Amino acid sequence: MEAIKQLSKSLVQPLLAVVIGLLTGAIFIAAVGESILGTYQEMWKGAFGSFYFLTSTLARATPIMLIALGLSLAFRAGVFNLGAEGQMVCGAISATLVALYLPAPGLVKMLAALVTGVLAGGLWSLFAGYLEAKFRIQLLISSLLLNYVAVLFASYLVSDPFQDKTGSAAMPQTPMLEKSVWLPKLFPGMSVHAGFLFALAAALLIFFVIRFTAFGYEVKMLGQNPFFSRYGGVNRVRVMLTSMFLSGGLAGLAGTVEVLGSHYRYVEGALTVPNFAWTGLMATLLANSHPIGVIFTSLLLAALQTGAMGVERNTEVPLELASVIQAVLILFISAKFTYSWWKNRKSKRRESQHGRAA
Amino acid sequence: MGELLDWSLVSSTIRMVTPILLAALGGALCSRVGVFNVGLEGLILVGAFSAIVGNHFTGSLVLAVLFAAAVTVLFSLLFAYMTIGLRANEIVVGVAINFLALGLTTFALRAVFDVKGAFYDKDMAGLPQLKLPLIGDVPVLGEVLSGHSPLVYLAFLIAILLHLFFTRTVTGFRVLAVGMNHTAARSIGLKVTRLQVLAIAMCGVLCGMAGAQLSLGQVTMFSEGMTAGRGFIALVAMMLGQSHPLGILASSFLFGLMDALSIRLQGFSLPTQFTAMLPYVLTILAMFFLKDKGASSASSSQQSTR
Repeated sequence: MEAIKQLSKSLVQPLLAVVIGLLTGAIFIAAVGESILGTYQEMWKGAFGSFYFLTSTLARATPIMLIALGLSLAFRAGVFNLGAEGQMVCGAISATLVALYLPAPGLVKMLAALVTGVLAGGLWSLFAGYLEAKFRIQLLISSLLLNYVAVLFASYLVSDPFQDKTGSAAMPQTPMLEKSVWLPKLFPGMSVHAGFLFALAAALLIFFVIRFTAFGYEVKMLGQNPFFSRYGGVNRVRVMLTSMFLSGGLAGLAGTVEVLGSHYRYVEGALTVPNFAWTGLMATLLANSHPIGVIFTSLLLAALQTGAMGVERNTEVPLELASVIQAVLILFISAKFTYSWWKNRKSKRRESQHGRAA
Repeated sequence: MGELLDWSLVSSTIRMVTPILLAALGGALCSRVGVFNVGLEGLILVGAFSAIVGNHFTGSLVLAVLFAAAVTVLFSLLFAYMTIGLRANEIVVGVAINFLALGLTTFALRAVFDVKGAFYDKDMAGLPQLKLPLIGDVPVLGEVLSGHSPLVYLAFLIAILLHLFFTRTVTGFRVLAVGMNHTAARSIGLKVTRLQVLAIAMCGVLCGMAGAQLSLGQVTMFSEGMTAGRGFIALVAMMLGQSHPLGILASSFLFGLMDALSIRLQGFSLPTQFTAMLPYVLTILAMFFLKDKGASSASSSQQSTR
């Protein structure tokens, strides 16, 4: 009961922000001279209008959700991991290579690819954590820089040594994976795949870890008050590195399920162009790093994006309507701490006045 | 090798370096007052678009650049209000600014010019190429240094002026003091908030000019998301240069050279990814040796969102 209460409390602010975001979107739709209601109807249809569109929204939400869950874990431990993009790409390319070249039966290969994806993403993010712990190189900056290194290295791999040279046009992509390693689709002919179930399972798992385990408690302590946590005997380096590893591992898994579940090969730009990493960051922020909340916010942002595709198909309003609404959402959410900060400041001031009076 | 490295490579480096240099200097101003500005990318994009709009409607290049700077300042003031006024997390706001800029410019492209993807007008004049009077006649030097847009020269001038500002003026010292410890700065009576907002607004001016150079100095057109990561490269140049104007000059040059080189390497079927990767690796290596200067400040260090 307490959990439900807490969840609904943490959902009030995002819902308010969504309303404001949609209102802002309405202003822009009007500015282009389209009907507001009609456009939002197209958006709804594009996101949920038919079973097919619903499943493509779920498919798009899958990597966003996994990345957001990973980031939420890092944020809870008080580290700002900006490297989800690189970690995702690292996981995706390693998993693709394993799925292509490991001599093993299909199912074993698929499992090996999934494990490799998680490990590769996790190790890449652990590297940034290690630089922070050992050499005090700010994680915020190193993780951002490592994105470029990973993306460029993967781009080299698929445009030279592992490129698919069989087709007529030599695109920067790996050869197609064989059918036995493809993640099964949840419904035949629809785009949502088993990766979505992984994301849901990960959300529940993280929820229980944070709530009921000693490790979860340590993560929370470290994030909320590093000094207190040290006093309480939390090994800061160990907890930080573990949460960075898990955070990167989930991003790696996000990249891996995209490859095994929807593209069936590593295509250059397929993971970076849709901005999965930054959208995942937004989903985490919207949910205030709550793992169950992340499920809903990822679905919301994915629906916004697939909906905007529908809008672009059927009206004169461009796709970027989604970017505007997302940005407004985030600006409003980020101003939230302010509201509580302002309230705190007021009550503090009152206290000090009382103190003086006494 | 002779084909790869010649003087025109240096010339094109100078051209490519300019938007990065301008934006990185803007980012440095922010970081010097203790604000880590991830929104450079968005600010440049807004500058690039408003420069084209200004040029289209006024027909004057001077007004176009001023308009770009003004609109970008407004945008940067939104950043300042959210981060300083409302105490929102600066990284979060920066990311939102990037998304907002992408959305708004695409939208406005549709609303103002009624086109999709890119706006190009063959009658529109780009920034003129200045022939330097004396240097322009010297054989090699003239080829390299002469014939750039005024903003290119301005960018280098601003880098030097900013260096003098930080090392020679009282206000410069005050700005540095705010970045080092803003509680201490406030306690000796500095107007911390005002200095911070001013620095962010100046960052807007610089990013606006960076955008103008991008859309009017190099190609005379605007296309959706034409910044293509330059804002993040500027951010990295700022870190490598440790937020020191002359350091940024050097690091932006390195980035521009890598950029120009990797375009050239494409003709040699060499992997361009490695030249493109070099600046980022170098920046990480540089952080081993140059710790706790410039890029880091009390407020840009690790923090959670909660």
